[in-house]
Amino acid sequence: MGWFIIKRLGWMLLTLWVVYSVSFVLMRSVPGSPLSAERKVSPEIEQNLKRRYRLDQPLGVQYWDDLRRIVPHGDLGASLKIQDFSVNEIIAQGFPVSASLGILALAFALTLGLTAGIISAVRRGSLADFSMMTIATIGIALPNFVIAGIVIILFVFLWPLFPPGGWGRISNIILPAFCLGAPYAAYIARLTRTGMLDVLSQDYIRTAFAKGLSERTVILRHALRGALLPVVSFLGPAIAGVLTGSLVVEKIFGIPGLGVHFVNAALQLDYPLAMGLVLLYTTLLYVMNLLVDLSYAILDPRVKLH
Amino acid sequence: MLLEVEDLRVSFQTDHGLVRAVDGISFSLDRGETLGIVGESGSGKSVTNLAILGLIPQPPGRIESGRANFRGQNLLTLPRRELQKIRGNRIAMIFQDPMTSLNPFLTIAQQLTEVTMLHRGWKYKQALDHAVEMLERVGIPAASRRVNDYPYQFSGGMRQRVMIAMALSCQPDLLIADEPTTALDVTIQAQILELIQQLQKEEGTAVILITHDLGVVANVCRRVNVMYAGRFVEEADVDALFAQPRHPYTLGLLNSLPRLDEQRGARLDPIAGQPPDLTNIPPGCVFHPRCPFRIDRCPQEVPALTERIDHRRYACFVDVQHQARVAVKENG
Repeated sequence: MGWFIIKRLGWMLLTLWVVYSVSFVLMRSVPGSPLSAERKVSPEIEQNLKRRYRLDQPLGVQYWDDLRRIVPHGDLGASLKIQDFSVNEIIAQGFPVSASLGILALAFALTLGLTAGIISAVRRGSLADFSMMTIATIGIALPNFVIAGIVIILFVFLWPLFPPGGWGRISNIILPAFCLGAPYAAYIARLTRTGMLDVLSQDYIRTAFAKGLSERTVILRHALRGALLPVVSFLGPAIAGVLTGSLVVEKIFGIPGLGVHFVNAALQLDYPLAMGLVLLYTTLLYVMNLLVDLSYAILDPRVKLH
Repeated sequence: MLLEVEDLRVSFQTDHGLVRAVDGISFSLDRGETLGIVGESGSGKSVTNLAILGLIPQPPGRIESGRANFRGQNLLTLPRRELQKIRGNRIAMIFQDPMTSLNPFLTIAQQLTEVTMLHRGWKYKQALDHAVEMLERVGIPAASRRVNDYPYQFSGGMRQRVMIAMALSCQPDLLIADEPTTALDVTIQAQILELIQQLQKEEGTAVILITHDLGVVANVCRRVNVMYAGRFVEEADVDALFAQPRHPYTLGLLNSLPRLDEQRGARLDPIAGQPPDLTNIPPGCVFHPRCPFRIDRCPQEVPALTERIDHRRYACFVDVQHQARVAVKENG
């Protein structure tokens, strides 16, 4: 187990280096410059700015300089567009916000998704199954901003339970967490239902019923573990995605998270910020997938890690 | 009588129409008795027994009629909670494929102890001791260590032993063994059958043995029911059945077996035609389209499974033995 983790972390470093290199090349091959602004500046000022951000150096030198700065200390450099902030500071401010929103959204998605999925599978073909799966399909199909619009109309204007936006109080986080989590809940519900139906048709479930166990025991003790495996696989990438924030939800509810930076850094060619976010996302994705593999080994005794 | 099944009818709603899987079955079983139910795949053997324990998913399944009296209670109308007290406790079941019948996610200990903890109200420690004892009795070596293993760590034959240990943990009155040896090697088959017989003798458990293997029946059972397309066509003591089959289907089954005393190179004599489509059962006797002894009456009337003057019970208008003797005479 320990060796497995060490090996996987080694691979992660290699992956991060590849991601760094590819991102570097891709970003520099986008036409335009981070310094090209609406207002034309004099060539002297532009030259000074380039020197200040070392953009006048050859690309190879920039590549190595950036890598040497990132590797020992994790120093991602200064943002080109957000004055007086280093990339590390931007992430340190935005990530906890996006992450706490994401964790709440996931908790909500898991609770609702698992419950709905299990009930639909056990009562398949019933009205409850049909209505929950219809809602789940709608949840997957509806974009975030539509769900956000609906809940804002309902719970801010018609029945003012929550503030329309902002950050810092518990009441601020409920609506955005719901909007962020809703598609995940829907997806988890469908995955759980499929997984559960698959397991319920297995011979060992018939054995469990033949032993005289109640339906509840059969489902919770004998069926649930196997049904959870597809959900666990889905959760790895889903957690990485949800923790790094969502542009749409954060914009609508005025939340100072990371989502906005992902888009802006790319559009404005803010090289260090974009690189920092890409590396953060890669690391999260890798760690989450590692956790998925570890949970597989815990859930299914037949899975051996090596 | 331990179990008395009367006029059991089970059907399934499928995309191709209504399938009459079990079509008016009656049988009874004494304490400690072994009853064989023989028939080919899809003849309704398993469905009959799953229905008795209420293990048919409804829908698509439906129990249309019948009674199954077990120790004075009709299992078919018993509330679910009452039925759960009987399942695994008074009536236990083992299934065809031991590779898939045990839960791969739980240890043998977890799967064995939950039966006695549920039905006997035992604490885990006591249930675990009993589980180890049961594993020893079914011949699992180093049972006290292996009880903590998972099913994938056992071979097929060992898993079936575990299934038997689990089924017999509460000393049931009736063990339903649904093709218990079909998925196993021939040498293991014999061991498992021997084990079932031995435990049956020790515990006085009645056994219903469902199989398509006439050899298994000959070894283990005293009484046999031959099932075809959801109906019993013949019921007899095992020796009489093999010596003098009275229903054309039974005769066909026996003729299609390879025999040791036969000349080498002799061809097997299979039953002509295919088993009927259960969504569209032929009128009259279900076997008549494949029957070499068919007479005009067969497609019009259903022959009843009645007791004859020689105390044999079979559902046929024709005296097969007499016809066969005539045929032998005519051919010289």
